[in-house]
Amino acid sequence: QDQIKRDAGNRQVVEARRRLLEEWRAWRAHVIELLREEGAEDAVPLPEKGEGEALDDEKEAEEVE
Amino acid sequence: MRPVLLSGHERALTQVKYNPDGDIIFSVSKDHVVCAWYSGNGERLGTYHGHVGALWSVDVDPTSTLLATGGADNTMRLWEVKTGKLLKTWEFATSIKRVEFSPDGRLLLGVTEKRSGHLGTIVVYEIDPEKGEDQSDEQYLRILCEESKATVAGFSYLAKYIIAGHEDGSVTQYDAKTGEEYKNVQVHEPDMMVTDLQWAPDRTYFITASKDKTAKLVSAFDLEILKSYSTDTPLNSAAITPVKDYVILGGGQAAMDVTTTSARQGKFEARFYHKIFMEEIGRVRGHFGPLNYVAVHPKGEGYCSGGEDGYVRVHHFDKAYFDFKYEVEREQANL
Repeated sequence: QDQIKRDAGNRQVVEARRRLLEEWRAWRAHVIELLREEGAEDAVPLPEKGEGEALDDEKEAEEVE
Repeated sequence: MRPVLLSGHERALTQVKYNPDGDIIFSVSKDHVVCAWYSGNGERLGTYHGHVGALWSVDVDPTSTLLATGGADNTMRLWEVKTGKLLKTWEFATSIKRVEFSPDGRLLLGVTEKRSGHLGTIVVYEIDPEKGEDQSDEQYLRILCEESKATVAGFSYLAKYIIAGHEDGSVTQYDAKTGEEYKNVQVHEPDMMVTDLQWAPDRTYFITASKDKTAKLVSAFDLEILKSYSTDTPLNSAAITPVKDYVILGGGQAAMDVTTTSARQGKFEARFYHKIFMEEIGRVRGHFGPLNYVAVHPKGEGYCSGGEDGYVRVHHFDKAYFDFKYEVEREQANL
């Protein structure tokens, strides 16, 4: 019984994190769109990686594990 | 994480900054001296002498050519990084609490202290890196802070806005050309001072630290509060890490401010939180007093902290730091 409860709790936590991550990515995509509209994409050093969006490099890093 | 200790200052550190390449750290302290250090090995590469009071703030321009400082001697100064030569001194009626260059290095702002007969202000000067000592005395912009004095301020992306944090816990968005106030938001608890404001790499959002024991991630577009990080100690500083989605918070209750004997004295640790999930993920100990400032390596390779104890501690992140990932981050990366 406890195990089931715990699993359900964990699932909720993971779901909440998943939502936060999606929400953040949507906001970042919106921001980058705004910067483009303002002609700022060249003037602003956009994030190289991390920021929860450009994860190609990290994919490679993970394969090492 | 292997820390490097920078010892040389004789009094509390007030601000520390990496240059854009991350190989040099500039530090200012109440001991009146500006120091430059190699971030890799902690070797001191130079000092900048001239100020005659405690220093509150330092910033370096995007080309690592010019250094700006401000302090309790009521001056803001401009220095040549390489030679240590003092290029320009601007004098004010009150002390300078914060200095910051615009993203292109062509503007320099200073936050002036409030005192009887003098409102707190934000002043901006145009900087011409070609002109050396021949910098303008004319103020490009002057913003009067009538409601509550500014404690920190900086330029957003494209130097479109000046964003300031105030003594009353609010944050204001100004037009960086006209000084017009667009918006003021009570980001922190009323009358809980905003102690720090640091930018994300693209300057579209920033983090504020406050005496109300929280840090907030705020959008530069509309001052919307995006995230909130709660701690158990008054915060002096907060920084956003590139590469990884973390924030680093620093603070601590000064011994003289502690009225009750707490089981755990001080709590002088740098705290790492996940930027998006807002959960604490780790702490780094070491200082003997409150952390007055935390700065992140511009490429995300490490961070440094300046303490009330007079030391700067430089940390280089190890592999575990970069490997650490939440399950949901892993699955997203593998999509």
